[in-house]
Order: sequence, then structure tokens, then C-alpha cells
Amino acid sequence: MARSSTTSDVFNALAEADRRAILSLLIVGEKPVGQIVMDLSMSQPQVSKHLRVLSQVGLVKSRPDGRHRLYRLEPQPLQPMRDWLAKFEQAINSRLDRLDDYLQELQGQGDSQ
Amino acid sequence: MTATRHGTAVIEFPTELEVLITRQFEAPIQLVYDVLTKTEHVRNTIAPFGEVVTECSFDVRVGGAYRYTFLAPDDGRDMTFHGQFLEVEPPTRIVDTWRYDGWPDVKAVETVDLSESNGVTTMRWLLTFADKAGRDHMTKFDGIEANFDNVENYLRQVLDKAGAAA
Repeated sequence: MARSSTTSDVFNALAEADRRAILSLLIVGEKPVGQIVMDLSMSQPQVSKHLRVLSQVGLVKSRPDGRHRLYRLEPQPLQPMRDWLAKFEQAINSRLDRLDDYLQELQGQGDSQ
Repeated sequence: MTATRHGTAVIEFPTELEVLITRQFEAPIQLVYDVLTKTEHVRNTIAPFGEVVTECSFDVRVGGAYRYTFLAPDDGRDMTFHGQFLEVEPPTRIVDTWRYDGWPDVKAVETVDLSESNGVTTMRWLLTFADKAGRDHMTKFDGIEANFDNVENYLRQVLDKAGAAA
């Protein structure tokens, strides 16, 4: 079942550099597969495979447009990762905020003496 | 009224073994150095969320030891950090070994560099872990540790742009 984690888990989907490149490309707007193939100099089967993985974890959605299919980024599944990152930052900043307050307090005391 | 610099720390992952935190303080360098190294100051600032500090000793000289403990906010267990000073250069640099009893296998070196410009002191706080497993303790979130450096940069890029577009 080694492969199942890749296709069912947003974190593993993002761990692949080519897939991140595809998502970065889609930030600016939706694109057909052919455009992604050209922009990233990857093969069509490669891009299609990555798009399939990204679709399975919900990071990419597609819609038909004439004879093509347009792919677009869905950033919502990334939110839990950002929330986690924010918590990490919060713990560090909280300690440094306390340090900052304390430094202000010490300097305030110095001024009033 | 002094301008506040709350929440402005920049957190980076320069290599797979490192966490680098950069932050500025509206205070002279000597004062920042003292607050980071003198026991009577450290015990007032060391606990991230104001937890109770039960133990705090700093023997700031090369080869000297430090140790501090605060009580975890959720279950009150001891959270003990300790190590030994490797370099002591007041008021610009402190290097020490960094151990946390909760992660007995994790070894790191903590390097704090201070510099002052126009009354603002910049602190560069680098944790260098002995191995990647060690640093991943700090940055672990399910599968994310496999590629944390890239993913972290990537997330900022995507979510910031998505947020701006929304």
C-alpha cells in the first residue's frame, strides 16, 4: 500500500517537486494540460499523472472547455498545513513577545529612575 | 510610547538541519544580551506562554551549564531544557548545546547572534540539529517532514496569492 499514501494525502502530494511546480503554475489561472506540458518541459503522460494525484487529494479541479479540459488550483486543502505552521509561529512569537515586553518594562524602569 | 515589534519574527529553514528565527527588539544590545543570559531575567521570559518556571540556572562561561524547567500548560509535566555554553562573547554572541528532556534523542546547537543599529537590536537565533530526525521533531506535521523546507516556502507562496486573489 505504499502508493496509497501518495494519492490520498495532501502532504505527500505536495512532497513531489514537479507537482508543486504544476500547482505554482496554476496559481495564476486555469490551464489546459498542453500548456502545462510546454511551460514546464515535462511529458504529457507525466503531467497527466501528476494532475491525477493532485485531483485525488482535492488540490486541483478541472472543467471541460470545448475540446480541452482546464485545470485550476483549489487551495483549500492546504489550510490545515497553514494552521499548523501558524501554531509553530505563534509559540515562537509568543515567547519573543514576552521578551519584548520585558525589555520595554526594564527600559521604562530605567527612564523613571 | 515605544513602537511594538510584536509578532515580527521571521522563521526560516535554511537547510534541512536548521531553524533560523530573526527578530528585532527596541532595546540596546547589552540589555538584550543580559536578558538572554542572566538568570534573574531569563526566568521571566523563557516560558512561551507564561507557564510557571520551576528551575532556572545559567552559568554563562565557556564550559558552563544552563538548565531551566517550566510546567507544560496542558498537563503540568516538567519541560526541562539544558546544555553547555560553547562560545560566550558578550554582547554579540552565545553558542550552546541544546537538549530537551522530552526529546532525549535530539541534539542541537543553539547560536544567538546580536547586532544593534539605531537603538534596535536584531537577534538571529539559529538552531542546528545533529540530524534531520532531530529537526523534524520541531517541524513535524504528519507527512510534511519529508520535505518541510520546500513545502513551507511553497505554502506561503500559494496561500498568500490565493488570499490576495480572494
